[in-house]
Amino acid sequence: MKPTVGPPAVAVYLRRLPVTVIVAIILWYILRPALDVAVSGAAQFLIRSYEHPKVTRLVAESHLAKVQRTDFRSDSVVPTVALTQIHVNTIVLLALFLALNRPLSRPQLERLFMAWSLLFLSQALNLIFHVKYLYATGLGAWSLSEYTDVGRNVFGFLRYFTDLPGRFSFPFLIWFGFNWQQVTAMLGKDADDSTGIADTKR
Amino acid sequence: MRTFWRRPETRFLILFLVLLTTGFAVIALQPINDRVVVPFTAAVARTSGAILGLLGEDITVTGCDLRSPRFAVTIYNGCNGLISSLVFAAAVVAYPTTWRAKALGVLVGLVAIQLLNLVRIVSLYFIGVFLPDHFNEAHIVIWQSVVVIAAVAIWIAWAHFGVRMAEDRR
Repeated sequence: MKPTVGPPAVAVYLRRLPVTVIVAIILWYILRPALDVAVSGAAQFLIRSYEHPKVTRLVAESHLAKVQRTDFRSDSVVPTVALTQIHVNTIVLLALFLALNRPLSRPQLERLFMAWSLLFLSQALNLIFHVKYLYATGLGAWSLSEYTDVGRNVFGFLRYFTDLPGRFSFPFLIWFGFNWQQVTAMLGKDADDSTGIADTKR
Repeated sequence: MRTFWRRPETRFLILFLVLLTTGFAVIALQPINDRVVVPFTAAVARTSGAILGLLGEDITVTGCDLRSPRFAVTIYNGCNGLISSLVFAAAVVAYPTTWRAKALGVLVGLVAIQLLNLVRIVSLYFIGVFLPDHFNEAHIVIWQSVVVIAAVAIWIAWAHFGVRMAEDRR
């Protein structure tokens, strides 16, 4: 009897991806209100942990983080940051994980938990950089007196880095990092192959 | 430290982040933005406008703006496919394989991502025309996820099939 030769693992993975994207989008919509609150809460906790006096409050409402400072005048306009864009990349991480073999096995769920925690931290940092950029550039004379040009540039760079390349790449990077053995095996490469430099010199 | 660097996953992650950060810092520079990013975005807008024109839309393109009597969109940095291309190129270059395979990956991948981005812009225009209430969700939730997943899928296909092809030809 001839052994059955199935499609390569990579083809199976690529075929699963469109389905897992849909599943991930549905999951994200279900979790969205909780993610709004969790990301705002984590960012507020981190900001206040090194803020003196502790004046920043981030209130999640209608998928926006309202940046409320207790030292704002009561008639001040409350700045907001869109939360959807901050944690929408959860969809990519979930889709990439769910398309792997045995996604609901204990080791995979543990990896997903660790990976999601790391992505969550990156999302909280993204929101922190939004808030710090707002403080450094958006509050008129106060911003000019409290932040230097270097500070404005640093927070501007960090905000846009975590906004654009960070948001696009972190889920992929985290997924690949946590599943290196499985993914490199799927790609048909030895997981310990360190020929990246040697290959170019061969 | 040397042992740490010898681990392929560590080297991939570090190289990827260094390439991505450097690439982003370069395109964020004002002169590069003015001379490369803005003209590139305007070219994306013109191409999208031409496709929409072929589909019967009365489109006027001004810089990075696409306007018709029915809807208008502006293509910003982040919507021009440049960042996805940068992420993809960093992942290809950081992956341990031959330079020939990397060149093939960057070339094919960037063309594919730009084509997908044109489909995205055209579809978003029509979503804006016919389902304006869903434009933001389609723009941020659906298309952003689809573009990133597609870029990862292209990278996986390249890392499996493309790398093998390029290495077989040597």
